[in-house]
This record gives sequence, structure tokens and C-alpha cells, in this order.
Amino acid sequence: MKRVTASLILITVLSLTSVYAQNDSTRTNGNSRPSSPVTLTLPNKDNSVRFVVIGDTGTGTHQQLELAQVMLRYRQVFPFEFVLMMGDNMYGSEKVGDYKQKFENIYKPLLDQKVKFYAALGNHDDSNQRFYEFFNMEGQEYYHFKKGNVSFYALNSNYMDKKQIDWLNEKLATDTVEWKIAFFHHPPYSSGGAHGSDTKLREVVEPIFVKHGMDVVFTGHEHFYERIKPQQGIYYFISGSGGKLRRGDVKEGSPLTAKAYDRDMSFMLIEVNDKQMHFQVVSRNGETVDSGIITGARQKNGASAQ
Amino acid sequence: MRINPRPAIIAAIIVCVAQIAAGQTKAPPALSANDQLVADAFEKRAKDYAKMREQLEEQMPKLSKEAKPEEIQAHKQQFQDRVRAARAGAKHGDVFTPEAATLIRAIIKDEFKGKDRVELRHTVLKESEIKAVPLRVNYPYPESQEVLEMAPTLLLRLPQLPKQLRYRFVGPNLLLLDRENGLIIDYMTNALP
Repeated sequence: MKRVTASLILITVLSLTSVYAQNDSTRTNGNSRPSSPVTLTLPNKDNSVRFVVIGDTGTGTHQQLELAQVMLRYRQVFPFEFVLMMGDNMYGSEKVGDYKQKFENIYKPLLDQKVKFYAALGNHDDSNQRFYEFFNMEGQEYYHFKKGNVSFYALNSNYMDKKQIDWLNEKLATDTVEWKIAFFHHPPYSSGGAHGSDTKLREVVEPIFVKHGMDVVFTGHEHFYERIKPQQGIYYFISGSGGKLRRGDVKEGSPLTAKAYDRDMSFMLIEVNDKQMHFQVVSRNGETVDSGIITGARQKNGASAQ
Repeated sequence: MRINPRPAIIAAIIVCVAQIAAGQTKAPPALSANDQLVADAFEKRAKDYAKMREQLEEQMPKLSKEAKPEEIQAHKQQFQDRVRAARAGAKHGDVFTPEAATLIRAIIKDEFKGKDRVELRHTVLKESEIKAVPLRVNYPYPESQEVLEMAPTLLLRLPQLPKQLRYRFVGPNLLLLDRENGLIIDYMTNALP
């Protein structure tokens, strides 16, 4: 098998001790400070690929705006270049004013700083969003782009038909980039009470991911954060609380959960440098609720797991 | 005479293991010759629609890949108007003929069994917000309503559509939608098992 088992090294962040001390389960419950200082757990190297992951954002509410403001604060110390959007970019109507209210106005400071947004489509999104100037979808419902040593696959999990599956297989088969990351809306693995794992989607995409050495998968749909225990060597993350929150929806004691946070909205900061992917999850009040390092194992020279 | 089921089970396991090892998605079961004819005829009707709407779209200003919301909205509205005018006489059952609907019902029923069927019915009938979608051919799908995910395993089994069209569940019904102009091209009732 091409893939060598990857490893995850959790960083112990001293500043989080008080938060985690409240609950020794995998679920992080602590969340009471009004606004925590910016604390970076990432290496923040100049030559890294640095980006943010958010999902289920498009409400236009003040909560979405507050989270965007935290993202902006973090960008002052961690200059991420782009943002991956996990879908449900716009809830409800999609008139001209909705694009402004639910996206442009919220993220204007980031757009002004030339931060690019790359969107996937969710079940609340009109297909025509693929033409929208700020979503950088190249007019496609599914598309691919590269940044440094990372290959990104934006998929349309609303409609994973044969055409898309064939495209994904063909594209991955010739992709020799060091890191392969997929992002889309519906999670193949989830501990959510409202939705849960999308097993029909998993049945189709997981064999492709395994065959072609996908390293990491980001999804949304569930309105919380969850890091799934590695499945067949692949790291799955859910980041679907960028504009909505389903408080307390993560099933207690789920065997899938490595870490979950469903007490407030959150986003992910990601840094990929060479053979490591660092992640940090930040809540709406600025607290870091999860962080760690994934050591890429699918290296051409067969690097061993750490 | 009792048939020993073991060889068939072993063969099925070997095929599954081989598919997993090769990273392949499980191949859907083949249709009978008669069903294939029905599916082919359905696909042709879908392609005929796609060809017609492509010709109409070619006459319109091309939408940029970096369009502004105003341009997206104007393009969609204009596209809808043109297709609706061209299909003014379209009616329920033009694409989903009774034969095609019967075949599709059977495929859905076969795909969703047991727990999957319960989950599908729960999702489509209870959880979704789409009950307000009017079933009217040549009318737009309301843009404020969510579009339920179609199970990929089902999409691999249903008659294949051109890229311009989509299947969508709305309540117990299955719609054929134009993904770009949002029009309901046709629908079939009682699609859910």
C-alpha cells in the first residue's frame, strides 16, 4: 500500500490547561472568557503554506462577524494567504444584497488585504456561486489548485456523480505533490447528533482517497468542530461553525472523536511546511480549543511515522 | 436440491476485498436489456433538453468566472426567461415517462434498504426544509430552499444525466433540475421507497 501510516503529535499548550482541566473527556467544554489574547501555536514560517478553514458561514449574523474579527486579529500575527470555505456559504436567498450581507461585508477587511477565498458548495448554495468573483471556483462546482507543496481538491459533495468521480480519479492519479488535501461540505465521518457520518458519500470517496494517498480532508455541514481519529491513514476534520452553531451536538463518547468543540463557533488555522501540517482551532472568543501536528507520511522516500 | 451458498458468498467477499485493495468504488449492478432501453431513452430526452438550452445560452453574453452578484443574478434570470419561453408547452411526464419513472423507482428502492431507507425517508421527509418547493414544470426551484445531497451510490445507478442537469429529491418526489438556471425540467411522484 502506497500510504504509510501517518502520525499525529499533539502539542500540549500550557495556556490551554485551565480550559481542558474542566473536562478530561475528548470534548472541550470550557469557554467563558470574553476575549482571549492572540496565542499562536503554529511555527509561522515565511515559506509555509498558511491558510484558514471555515464552514457553514453564510448567515450574515453578528456572530459570524465576530468570528471574522477574530480571524482578522490572528492574521496580524499569522499572515494566512487564503481561506477554504466548506460550503453553506449563503443561507436563504442569494440576491445581490445577500452576497454583500452574508459574505462581502463580513470579510471585507480580509478581502481588502487580498486574502483569497476558495469555496466548496453546500446544500444551501446555488450552483451559480461558482461564478462569483470572490469564491475563486473558476466556474466549476469542483476544482483543483496548488499552493507550494500542497494540492487542494474542492469537491461538490451535494452531487458526487460519475463525472466528478472520474475527474477526481484522473486528477489524483497524476498528482505528485507532497500534500493532498480535499475539502467539501458533507463529512464522511462525524459524531454529530443531527446529521452524523455520511456513509453513502464515504462508500464512494474513501476508496479513491486511500488509493491516491489523500492526506487530509476538511468538511463542514455539522455546526461544530471535530477532529476525527485517523481513518485508513487519513485525517478528517469538521469545521462547520463559521456562522452557525449546534451547541452540544457532538455525541458524548463517540469512538470517532479525537477532539471536539461544540460550545461556540470556531475556525481553523493551518500551516503546512515541508513534511508537517500544523493546525490550531480558535473559538469566537479567541481561545485555542485544539492544536497539533500531522506528520505527512505519504512521502516519496517513504518517511516513517514519528 | 439444496444449493450451497458458500461459493457465492466467498466469491462476493473476494470481489469486495479486491475492489477495496484496488481503491475502486463498488460497481453498480447492471440493468436488464429492457431496462437499459428505457434508461437510454430517458438519457436521450435529457440530452435533447441540454442541447436545446446550450443553444439558447450560446446566444447570451457569457458569464465571467469572476462575476459580480449583479451579473450572476441577471444571467440566471435571462436564462430562465429564454428556456421557459422555448419550453412553454412542456408538461409533467415529458422526460420522466411512466416507463422511466417505474425504472427509477425500482432503482431507488433497490439502493435504499433497511436502515438506509429509514435514513433517506427521515432526511427527505422530515429534516429538510424543502417542502415548500412547488412541483411545476418549467418553473424555477426557489433559490432560498436547500438542495438535498444526492447519495453518490444512487447517482452511479440512475440513468446518467448531462452536466447541465441534476436529480433532486423534494419530499417524496424526484425532480430534474437545470443546475444553472434553476428550472424544474420535469418531476416524478412517489419516488421514495
